[in-house]
Amino acid sequence: MKSVSPLNNVHELGQFGDFENKNVEEIIKIKEIKNIFIYQIVKFKSSNKKDNELSLDNLDFPNILKVNSNDNTRILWMGPNNWLIVSKNNLSDELKNNYFSSDFAVTDISHSRSIIELQGSNAKEVIKKGSPFDIEKLEENNCTNTVFNGITITIDNIDNSTNKIRIISLRSFGESLYHSVTDACLEFGYEAI
Amino acid sequence: MLFIKCPYCGIRSQNEFAYGGDATVKRPQLNKEISDKEWDDFVYNRKSLRGKHLEFWHHISGCRQWFKVHRDTATHEIFKTLKPNEEL
Repeated sequence: MKSVSPLNNVHELGQFGDFENKNVEEIIKIKEIKNIFIYQIVKFKSSNKKDNELSLDNLDFPNILKVNSNDNTRILWMGPNNWLIVSKNNLSDELKNNYFSSDFAVTDISHSRSIIELQGSNAKEVIKKGSPFDIEKLEENNCTNTVFNGITITIDNIDNSTNKIRIISLRSFGESLYHSVTDACLEFGYEAI
Repeated sequence: MLFIKCPYCGIRSQNEFAYGGDATVKRPQLNKEISDKEWDDFVYNRKSLRGKHLEFWHHISGCRQWFKVHRDTATHEIFKTLKPNEEL
């Protein structure tokens, strides 16, 4: 069976908007993150496991609004007792062996999320145009759930030095979100890569 | 536009929340005989207070947790927010 990425029909490569006569750093780079494993882990109220004892792919689970990461995996705090794992590695076996159904609900949601990555000095300006969240307060390796033009999203601040931000939404909202984001990018100019 | 302090995530815009109704309404005890009037009061009948009101809100586009907000319905001033198991 062929895997089709959520933004396959809309993510057209090239330069768009007001990109002429601008530095490369100013132009926003938009990338679809695909072929990646995404897992949701929810700890049951009845569980006796402590948050600070949990780990996956050699990473501890993060505290409120934080992200713990290594080269392959990012663990995002989604809410109390709720985490999102985004990884290049297939962690199914580790999850199956260490996160038992008596304590956790583990769901593979790799197929049901759309991820847009923005990079460039104006990336945060794009977020500001559609979201009420104060993005300037979001430090590196922090994440938050919020809304963008009415669509519920997760923002993951990957790197402040290169202004790299990921926006995660439900797959079914992906195309609509992509149109919203690219529309907000037009005035800065963007390059879909 | 209200700014509401989620007990888990901090201050956020009202856009991220959904109103969840009166937080003072208590469900009748299990297996207790109650009248139709008491059941009606629990399910349907609500006071429309002008002034201080304790209400449930849901951080639906955030951490997806329910919490209580002590708010003035006339001025929209928010005095305090609490986790569901906390009392004023």
